[in-house]
Amino acid sequence: MNALYWWLTLAVLLFCIGAYGVLVRRNVIVVVMCLELMLNAVNIALVAISNFRGGALGAGTLFSLFIITLAAAEVTVGLAIVIANYRNRRTVQTDQYDKLKG
Amino acid sequence: MPGGDFHPWLFVILAAWILVCGLGVVAFKKIMYSAASMVACFLGVAFAYALLNAPLVAIVQILVYVGAISIVIIFAIMLTEVQDGGYELFFNRQAVFAAPLAVTAAAVLMVVMVTSDIGPIGDTALNPSVRGISLLLFNGYVFPFELVSLVLVAAMIGAIVLARKVEEKS
Repeated sequence: MNALYWWLTLAVLLFCIGAYGVLVRRNVIVVVMCLELMLNAVNIALVAISNFRGGALGAGTLFSLFIITLAAAEVTVGLAIVIANYRNRRTVQTDQYDKLKG
Repeated sequence: MPGGDFHPWLFVILAAWILVCGLGVVAFKKIMYSAASMVACFLGVAFAYALLNAPLVAIVQILVYVGAISIVIIFAIMLTEVQDGGYELFFNRQAVFAAPLAVTAAAVLMVVMVTSDIGPIGDTALNPSVRGISLLLFNGYVFPFELVSLVLVAAMIGAIVLARKVEEKS
Protein backbone atom coordinates (compact mmCIF):
# COMPACT_ATOMS: atom_id res chain seq x y z
CA MET A 1 0.00 0.00 0.00
CA ASN A 2 1.30 3.37 -0.98
CA ALA A 3 2.37 5.88 1.65
CA LEU A 4 -0.22 8.35 0.37
CA TYR A 5 -3.07 6.17 1.60
CA TRP A 6 -1.80 6.24 5.18
CA TRP A 7 -1.83 10.02 5.17
CA LEU A 8 -5.27 10.13 3.57
CA THR A 9 -6.59 7.72 6.22
CA LEU A 10 -5.27 10.06 8.91
CA ALA A 11 -7.02 12.96 7.17
CA VAL A 12 -10.33 11.07 6.92
CA LEU A 13 -10.26 10.12 10.61
CA LEU A 14 -9.42 13.64 11.75
CA PHE A 15 -12.15 15.06 9.49
CA CYS A 16 -14.75 12.74 10.97
CA ILE A 17 -13.69 13.49 14.55
CA GLY A 18 -14.15 17.17 13.72
CA ALA A 19 -17.51 16.55 12.05
CA TYR A 20 -18.71 14.61 15.09
CA GLY A 21 -17.64 17.45 17.35
CA VAL A 22 -19.43 20.04 15.21
CA LEU A 23 -22.63 18.00 15.35
CA VAL A 24 -22.56 17.02 19.01
CA ARG A 25 -21.14 19.91 21.01
CA ARG A 26 -23.39 22.78 22.00
CA ASN A 27 -20.83 25.41 22.93
CA VAL A 28 -20.31 27.56 19.82
CA ILE A 29 -16.61 28.07 20.56
CA VAL A 30 -16.03 24.31 20.70
CA VAL A 31 -17.94 24.02 17.43
CA VAL A 32 -15.53 26.54 15.89
CA MET A 33 -12.56 24.54 17.23
CA CYS A 34 -13.92 21.34 15.68
CA LEU A 35 -14.41 23.19 12.37
CA GLU A 36 -10.71 24.06 12.51
CA LEU A 37 -9.92 20.36 12.99
CA MET A 38 -11.88 19.58 9.81
CA LEU A 39 -10.03 22.27 7.87
CA ASN A 40 -6.72 20.86 9.13
CA ALA A 41 -7.72 17.39 7.95
CA VAL A 42 -8.43 18.74 4.46
CA ASN A 43 -5.06 20.50 4.47
CA ILE A 44 -3.26 17.27 5.39
CA ALA A 45 -4.97 15.53 2.46
CA LEU A 46 -4.04 18.34 0.05
CA VAL A 47 -0.38 18.46 1.09
CA ALA A 48 -0.10 14.66 1.03
CA ILE A 49 -1.56 14.35 -2.46
CA SER A 50 0.61 17.22 -3.64
CA ASN A 51 3.65 15.42 -2.22
CA PHE A 52 3.05 11.98 -3.71
CA ARG A 53 1.27 12.68 -6.97
CA GLY A 54 2.84 14.49 -9.88
CA GLY A 55 0.84 16.67 -12.23
CA ALA A 56 0.27 20.22 -11.06
CA LEU A 57 3.45 20.48 -9.03
CA GLY A 58 2.95 22.08 -5.63
CA ALA A 59 -0.55 23.35 -6.36
CA GLY A 60 -2.04 21.37 -3.46
CA THR A 61 0.47 22.82 -1.03
CA LEU A 62 -0.28 26.31 -2.30
CA PHE A 63 -4.00 25.73 -1.95
CA SER A 64 -3.54 24.64 1.67
CA LEU A 65 -1.85 28.00 2.32
CA PHE A 66 -4.93 29.77 0.94
CA ILE A 67 -7.17 27.61 3.14
CA ILE A 68 -5.13 28.51 6.24
CA THR A 69 -5.48 32.21 5.43
CA LEU A 70 -9.22 32.01 4.86
CA ALA A 71 -9.64 29.92 8.04
CA ALA A 72 -8.01 32.73 9.98
CA ALA A 73 -10.47 35.23 8.47
CA GLU A 74 -13.39 32.90 9.20
CA VAL A 75 -12.40 32.44 12.86
CA THR A 76 -12.05 36.20 13.35
CA VAL A 77 -15.49 37.02 11.98
CA GLY A 78 -17.14 33.96 13.55
CA LEU A 79 -15.87 34.68 17.05
CA ALA A 80 -16.78 38.37 16.67
CA ILE A 81 -20.34 37.26 15.95
CA VAL A 82 -20.24 34.90 18.97
CA ILE A 83 -19.06 37.70 21.25
CA ALA A 84 -21.62 40.17 19.89
CA ASN A 85 -24.31 37.57 20.44
CA TYR A 86 -23.03 36.83 23.94
CA ARG A 87 -23.36 40.49 24.82
CA ASN A 88 -27.06 40.44 23.92
CA ARG A 89 -28.14 36.97 24.96
CA ARG A 90 -25.60 36.02 27.70
CA THR A 91 -25.10 32.57 26.25
CA VAL A 92 -22.83 30.64 23.91
CA GLN A 93 -24.90 27.45 23.81
CA THR A 94 -26.40 26.64 20.41
CA ASP A 95 -29.65 25.30 21.87
CA GLN A 96 -30.29 28.67 23.54
CA TYR A 97 -29.94 30.62 20.29
CA ASP A 98 -33.71 30.44 19.77
CA LYS A 99 -34.70 34.04 19.17
CA LEU A 100 -35.92 33.27 15.64
CA LYS A 101 -38.12 30.44 16.89
CA GLY A 102 -41.77 31.13 16.16
CA MET B 1 6.32 1.84 4.47
CA PRO B 2 3.59 4.07 5.84
CA GLY B 3 4.03 7.79 5.52
CA GLY B 4 7.03 8.39 3.29
CA ASP B 5 10.79 8.10 3.36
CA PHE B 6 11.13 8.16 7.13
CA HIS B 7 10.72 5.59 9.85
CA PRO B 8 7.16 4.15 9.85
CA TRP B 9 6.91 4.40 13.62
CA LEU B 10 7.32 8.15 13.34
CA PHE B 11 4.14 8.28 11.26
CA VAL B 12 2.27 5.99 13.66
CA ILE B 13 3.23 8.08 16.70
CA LEU B 14 2.37 11.32 14.90
CA ALA B 15 -1.00 10.04 13.68
CA ALA B 16 -1.87 8.77 17.17
CA TRP B 17 -0.88 12.15 18.63
CA ILE B 18 -3.03 14.09 16.16
CA LEU B 19 -6.06 11.83 16.56
CA VAL B 20 -5.89 11.64 20.36
CA CYS B 21 -5.61 15.42 20.62
CA GLY B 22 -8.48 15.78 18.12
CA LEU B 23 -10.62 13.49 20.26
CA GLY B 24 -9.63 15.58 23.26
CA VAL B 25 -11.07 18.69 21.63
CA VAL B 26 -14.41 16.93 21.25
CA ALA B 27 -14.46 15.13 24.59
CA PHE B 28 -13.07 17.52 27.19
CA LYS B 29 -15.68 18.90 29.56
CA LYS B 30 -13.84 22.14 30.26
CA ILE B 31 -13.54 24.42 27.23
CA MET B 32 -10.05 25.56 28.16
CA TYR B 33 -8.84 21.95 28.12
CA SER B 34 -10.40 21.59 24.65
CA ALA B 35 -8.47 24.66 23.51
CA ALA B 36 -5.18 23.29 24.89
CA SER B 37 -5.84 19.98 23.18
CA MET B 38 -6.55 21.84 19.94
CA VAL B 39 -3.21 23.65 20.14
CA ALA B 40 -1.44 20.30 20.65
CA CYS B 41 -3.31 18.87 17.67
CA PHE B 42 -2.26 21.82 15.47
CA LEU B 43 1.36 21.31 16.51
CA GLY B 44 1.11 17.67 15.47
CA VAL B 45 -0.34 18.71 12.11
CA ALA B 46 2.60 21.11 11.68
CA PHE B 47 4.95 18.16 12.17
CA ALA B 48 2.94 16.24 9.58
CA TYR B 49 3.52 19.04 7.05
CA ALA B 50 7.23 19.01 7.86
CA LEU B 51 7.35 15.25 7.21
CA LEU B 52 5.48 15.80 3.92
CA ASN B 53 8.26 18.08 2.65
CA ALA B 54 6.22 21.25 3.00
CA PRO B 55 8.28 23.31 5.46
CA LEU B 56 6.62 26.57 4.43
CA VAL B 57 3.16 25.21 5.26
CA ALA B 58 4.51 23.83 8.55
CA ILE B 59 5.85 27.25 9.54
CA VAL B 60 2.66 29.01 8.43
CA GLN B 61 0.67 26.44 10.41
CA ILE B 62 2.63 27.25 13.57
CA LEU B 63 2.37 31.00 12.93
CA VAL B 64 -1.31 31.15 12.04
CA TYR B 65 -2.94 28.23 13.84
CA VAL B 66 -0.76 27.68 16.91
CA GLY B 67 0.01 31.37 17.23
CA ALA B 68 -2.91 33.47 16.05
CA ILE B 69 -6.09 31.39 15.82
CA SER B 70 -5.58 29.68 19.19
CA ILE B 71 -5.02 33.06 20.84
CA VAL B 72 -8.23 34.42 19.29
CA ILE B 73 -10.16 31.35 20.46
CA ILE B 74 -8.73 31.54 23.99
CA PHE B 75 -9.65 35.23 24.14
CA ALA B 76 -13.19 34.36 23.04
CA ILE B 77 -13.36 31.72 25.78
CA MET B 78 -12.25 34.24 28.37
CA LEU B 79 -14.64 36.94 27.13
CA THR B 80 -17.61 34.59 27.26
CA GLU B 81 -17.47 33.23 30.80
CA VAL B 82 -16.45 29.59 30.88
CA GLN B 83 -19.47 27.37 31.26
CA ASP B 84 -18.27 23.81 31.50
CA GLY B 85 -21.08 22.02 29.91
CA GLY B 86 -21.27 18.76 31.85
CA TYR B 87 -21.53 15.43 30.13
CA GLU B 88 -25.20 15.79 29.36
CA LEU B 89 -24.00 18.35 26.79
CA PHE B 90 -21.66 15.79 25.27
CA PHE B 91 -23.76 12.63 25.34
CA ASN B 92 -26.94 14.46 24.43
CA ARG B 93 -29.67 13.52 22.02
CA GLN B 94 -27.68 14.92 19.08
CA ALA B 95 -25.15 12.11 19.62
CA VAL B 96 -27.72 9.55 18.49
CA PHE B 97 -27.65 11.10 15.03
CA ALA B 98 -24.12 12.46 15.04
CA ALA B 99 -22.26 9.24 15.83
CA PRO B 100 -23.75 7.13 12.99
CA LEU B 101 -23.36 10.11 10.64
CA ALA B 102 -19.67 10.53 11.47
CA VAL B 103 -18.99 6.80 11.14
CA THR B 104 -20.87 6.68 7.83
CA ALA B 105 -18.94 9.69 6.55
CA ALA B 106 -15.67 8.00 7.51
CA ALA B 107 -16.70 4.76 5.76
CA VAL B 108 -17.83 6.56 2.59
CA LEU B 109 -14.64 8.65 2.45
CA MET B 110 -12.48 5.54 2.93
CA VAL B 111 -14.33 3.69 0.15
CA VAL B 112 -13.97 6.68 -2.17
CA MET B 113 -10.30 6.94 -1.28
CA VAL B 114 -9.58 3.28 -2.08
CA THR B 115 -11.72 2.98 -5.21
CA SER B 116 -11.13 6.31 -6.93
CA ASP B 117 -8.37 6.71 -9.48
CA ILE B 118 -5.99 9.21 -7.93
CA GLY B 119 -3.56 8.84 -10.81
CA PRO B 120 0.10 7.92 -10.87
CA ILE B 121 1.39 7.90 -7.31
CA GLY B 122 5.09 7.73 -6.72
CA ASP B 123 6.94 6.86 -3.55
CA THR B 124 9.24 9.82 -3.90
CA ALA B 125 8.48 13.18 -2.38
CA LEU B 126 7.41 15.70 -5.01
CA ASN B 127 6.60 18.82 -3.04
CA PRO B 128 8.61 21.77 -4.37
CA SER B 129 10.92 23.75 -2.16
CA VAL B 130 10.01 27.12 -0.66
CA ARG B 131 11.53 28.71 -3.76
CA GLY B 132 9.30 26.64 -6.03
CA ILE B 133 6.21 27.49 -3.99
CA SER B 134 6.92 31.21 -4.05
CA LEU B 135 7.58 31.12 -7.81
CA LEU B 136 4.24 29.37 -8.25
CA LEU B 137 2.49 31.85 -5.94
CA PHE B 138 3.76 34.96 -7.65
CA ASN B 139 3.55 33.70 -11.23
CA GLY B 140 0.33 31.79 -11.71
CA TYR B 141 -1.58 32.58 -8.54
CA VAL B 142 -1.01 36.29 -8.10
CA PHE B 143 -4.68 37.17 -8.52
CA PRO B 144 -5.96 34.79 -5.81
CA PHE B 145 -3.14 36.01 -3.58
CA GLU B 146 -4.30 39.62 -3.90
CA LEU B 147 -7.92 38.54 -3.50
CA VAL B 148 -7.05 36.79 -0.22
CA SER B 149 -5.47 39.98 1.10
CA LEU B 150 -8.71 41.80 0.27
CA VAL B 151 -10.71 39.12 2.11
CA LEU B 152 -8.43 39.50 5.14
CA VAL B 153 -8.96 43.27 5.25
CA ALA B 154 -12.72 42.76 4.94
CA ALA B 155 -12.67 40.17 7.74
CA MET B 156 -10.64 42.46 9.99
CA ILE B 157 -13.01 45.41 9.48
CA GLY B 158 -16.02 43.12 9.85
CA ALA B 159 -14.72 41.70 13.13
CA ILE B 160 -14.11 45.18 14.54
CA VAL B 161 -17.56 46.39 13.48
CA LEU B 162 -19.30 43.30 14.87
CA ALA B 163 -17.50 43.09 18.20
CA ARG B 164 -17.33 46.73 19.25
CA LYS B 165 -19.81 48.15 21.71
CA VAL B 166 -22.75 49.93 20.10
CA GLU B 167 -22.77 53.46 21.44
CA GLU B 168 -26.00 54.93 22.67
CA LYS B 169 -27.09 57.88 20.61
CA SER B 170 -27.78 60.84 22.86
